Amino acid sequence: MVIVNFLTNNQSVTVEKGTTILEAARKIGIIIESPCNSEGACGKCKVKVSQNNLTGIIDEGKHHLSDEEKAQGFVLSCQAKVIKDIEVEEIPQNLNKNLQILNHGESFEIELDGFIKKEYNKNGKTYVTAGDDIIAEEEGDTTGLNYGIVVDIGTTTLVATIVNINTGEELHSVSALNPQSIYAQDVLSRIKFASDEKGLEIMYSSMINELNGMIEKNTKETGIDKKYIYEVIFSGNTCMIHLAANVNPYSLGKYPYTPLLKGGSYLSAHDHKLNISDKGLIYLPPIISSYVGPDITSGILATRLQDRKGTTLFVDIGTNGEMIIARDGKLSSTSTAAGPAFEGMNISYGMRAERGAIEYFNIEKDGSIEIKTIENRKAIGICGSGLLDILGELVANKVIGKNGRFCSSENSDLPVALRQRLVKVDGKIAFKITDDVFLTQKDIRQVQLAKGAVRSGIEFLMSNKKVLAEDVDKIQIAGSFGYHLRAKSLINIGLLPKEFEGKIDFVGNTSKSGGHAFLLNKHYRSEMEQLVKDIDVVELSNGENFDRIFVKCLSFQTIEEVA
Amino acid sequence: MSINKEELYKKLAESIVDMDEDLTIEISKQVIAEGLDAYDAIVNGLTVGMNQAGKLFDEEEYFVPELLICSDAMYAGLNILKPHIKVGENVTKRKAVIGVIEGDTHDIGKNLVKIMLETGGYDIIDLGRDVLPSTFVEKAKAEKAEFIVISTLMTTTMEGMNEVIEILVEENIRDDYKVLIGGGPISQGYADKIGADGYAENAAEAVKLANRLVVAYGNEIE
Repeated sequence: MVIVNFLTNNQSVTVEKGTTILEAARKIGIIIESPCNSEGACGKCKVKVSQNNLTGIIDEGKHHLSDEEKAQGFVLSCQAKVIKDIEVEEIPQNLNKNLQILNHGESFEIELDGFIKKEYNKNGKTYVTAGDDIIAEEEGDTTGLNYGIVVDIGTTTLVATIVNINTGEELHSVSALNPQSIYAQDVLSRIKFASDEKGLEIMYSSMINELNGMIEKNTKETGIDKKYIYEVIFSGNTCMIHLAANVNPYSLGKYPYTPLLKGGSYLSAHDHKLNISDKGLIYLPPIISSYVGPDITSGILATRLQDRKGTTLFVDIGTNGEMIIARDGKLSSTSTAAGPAFEGMNISYGMRAERGAIEYFNIEKDGSIEIKTIENRKAIGICGSGLLDILGELVANKVIGKNGRFCSSENSDLPVALRQRLVKVDGKIAFKITDDVFLTQKDIRQVQLAKGAVRSGIEFLMSNKKVLAEDVDKIQIAGSFGYHLRAKSLINIGLLPKEFEGKIDFVGNTSKSGGHAFLLNKHYRSEMEQLVKDIDVVELSNGENFDRIFVKCLSFQTIEEVA
Repeated sequence: MSINKEELYKKLAESIVDMDEDLTIEISKQVIAEGLDAYDAIVNGLTVGMNQAGKLFDEEEYFVPELLICSDAMYAGLNILKPHIKVGENVTKRKAVIGVIEGDTHDIGKNLVKIMLETGGYDIIDLGRDVLPSTFVEKAKAEKAEFIVISTLMTTTMEGMNEVIEILVEENIRDDYKVLIGGGPISQGYADKIGADGYAENAAEAVKLANRLVVAYGNEIE
């Protein structure tokens, strides 16, 4: 047995030889973020070990640590096995305490006709009905007390909003990090984690615990008794809905990627230990496919895509790019795996949208640069919107060539101010954004892969429906990026075709706003349950030439005749 | 008129690195017209060019699109030269079966590795995508392959790689094959964990890895 002493937390633990530092930390409840599920792939779980203790570990992971970090004693806690007593000096804190969470999205005028209704009877009792069924009776007239909760279950963040079902009024909103992301960051890692009973139990119960905490915060803030909350809407991607409903997501992770749940169904809040009315219900909006989930169904509802004349393209940009093309009410969908680059993962100085993250970047005519960070703190990294800005500006200013290569620092066409920023880091060329934050060639490649995936999905869906880029009347961008994102950057890096210029709207968190609509009017449920059946699901992996389209979409060139 | 062979092969290699497919075709035809040895041109021209492209890829100079365009040029040249290889000259190549593991349909990475291995002189049997672990083993046996090369992009399917190795162990033929793995979620740590013979971070690395193992393998036989 060996002792791991976490100096940062004043705690130590005795473990078997060969235990990883991460496993040791978990034993005593010290949280080290390990988003890639201990595969040694993401590099985010690094910790600093006392210099003279380095012989006490066997380090199998060499990813993502710079030479400088290695020299300082940083190791990946998920890969480093402890063989002698050691001291851990530092655990970089990255626990999203200040994560920016987008909690509003485009919506439309919702007619109030909730699924949950309350009626006072002459006999002095109030009856609560869910559709046609009486689910509860209460003494006296409680008809004014009728509440529901809309939960946007994001892969990274959760937003729970308490709503008055009678009036439609949004009373309070609480945000939190999705607790599952501590164990596994992306959807696929989560599917894998939850594919056995123990993993699923951790994913499910951590989610329910967090939701109960959020419900409690909402009731405390508003003074509403939880027994008057009768319904909860779960809006989120297909995997998140499976995990929240305690259904094994295993089949989502393997071809032919079939979901076990179909959505458009109800669960008992009591069975799932959600702290609302004992008779309360959970509604799961209809699922379109394994990778186009209820969050997108909510998005369609929030933007009323089905009612729009002409051609509209709805794209939710995140770790997966989900997209719907609507032509005069006829909808087709697909999704592509963009990977985590847009959330700052796999990027040397990438981070989530937290304090100190660069979220805006601009190059002036003279080559000087302008950056904005979240809460105007000293820049410590780059979040998704900042990353796209940086890439977009560097491509537009030819610091990055069409093929994604940094141009040579001897290139005399570049303003001196920009040329001076092309420096060597660990022997390789990189762009110096600030003294502490750099963009590397490898980072550019990661963005190329991510934007190439989304763009090729768009190209493939358009060509499948025989729609040309110039024929698209409106482009709606939903998702975690929010309104900080600039349309210009999306076009500069070729994530969207230049024909879309001037037609792009940012619609925000439509998973949430669509969830509201589901709560407040029961007819939207039957409408969307029907509509989802008619959505044509285009599976990219079955598409001919998809790999060729993808490869073309990797370049920063304007893409012509891709199909 | 005598032609400088070395000069021509060098140009052939350059045409590939420069992604000039038309020039590759032109020079390949010239090789035939001049009565030069086709096999010689492949080894000292096409392969050299493609290896240089692989090196540039490794150095982050080239990316996936460039590598694919280079390989288009290489295959165009190969199509012209191959029919002219003299019988008996075709040395026996080391064989590899390659595929994407069961449950996964993402095959761009696998295709890149295939190109680079082919360029590196390996005979590749492509099993495609969504391939059962047992199929990897059956095909490797049937084809008398030395290498089993497995790729996946998805965390959810990577355990299938372990199954391939388990089957080999169960059938007592583990030492007959070298198992190479790669793909987005794969790491050296994972390769060690399941007891694969090697992990390569990218297509260019995969060839180097295979070559290293060939040397080791050769020694074992002696």
